Amino acid sequence: MNNNENKVLTEAVFYTLLALYSPLHGYGIMQETERMSQGRLKLAAGTLYGAISTMLEKEWIKALPSEEESRRKEYQITELGKTVVKAELARLEELVGNGKLIIK
Amino acid sequence: MKKTVRKIFFIWEYEKEEQWLNAKSKEGWQLVMATFGKYQFESGIPDEYTYRLELLDKSMNSTESNSYLNFLQETGIEMVGKCKQWIYLRCKTADGGFEPNNRVLYDLTHLLKIQEFISTTKNRLVAFIAISICGLLIMDHLEPSNLVDFIKGFCTGIALSTSFISLAFNPFSRRINKRVKKVIKELYTCE
Repeated sequence: MNNNENKVLTEAVFYTLLALYSPLHGYGIMQETERMSQGRLKLAAGTLYGAISTMLEKEWIKALPSEEESRRKEYQITELGKTVVKAELARLEELVGNGKLIIK
Repeated sequence: MKKTVRKIFFIWEYEKEEQWLNAKSKEGWQLVMATFGKYQFESGIPDEYTYRLELLDKSMNSTESNSYLNFLQETGIEMVGKCKQWIYLRCKTADGGFEPNNRVLYDLTHLLKIQEFISTTKNRLVAFIAISICGLLIMDHLEPSNLVDFIKGFCTGIALSTSFISLAFNPFSRRINKRVKKVIKELYTCE
């Protein structure tokens, strides 16, 4: 499971990682994803919660220290997370390249 | 205006229960409180909310469940009722309802949670049966008396009824397994 190459990310994870290049809380990630995909991708709360907890475990993202008062947790992408996104981007580029080559 | 409805749904009828709540919402009756067998509705705008039942992984008071519920609240989902680890959630239909991004993954998680719930319940029932049988064996070695007879009858009753209940879970459990296999097959073609 430590092999982070050759992984295919889900749409939700890919967009969440992109959104977390700047610190955001859960709802912020949902809004940012919707904005980036021009309203196409609306992350469901359950999906996002599952994605966040798995990515925290894998250390692709980290929770930022928050004040006691606020219940809202903010997250940010880690260096490992950035490597994962870059690898996925390369994979997607290969897919798009080959797709365009054949389907004209 | 408020109204209270008493209705029983068993755990394997969660989909039916969800459909019933959403149909009520379309009629303009919004669920505001729910516990086992008791539902309280308030008249409101038809289809204002979409409802969903979920089974929590951990008990209601655990840190994990709390952080999950806080997260949901932050995204506009409120909990209107609970019954053990089952929770009744609702969100504004206009906000997109509960439609998951990954249907296959969602179905699989949900089915496995229910399967786990059934197997824990079954294990508990089997423990009950074992205890009752031990009780019967011990009673056999005691001098016959009214009390001994009563306890024997009691143990037999418990053993028989729990065996029956645990057997009743089987068809449902098989149905869930079948659905899990079908969902996994889906995974070969899409996420």
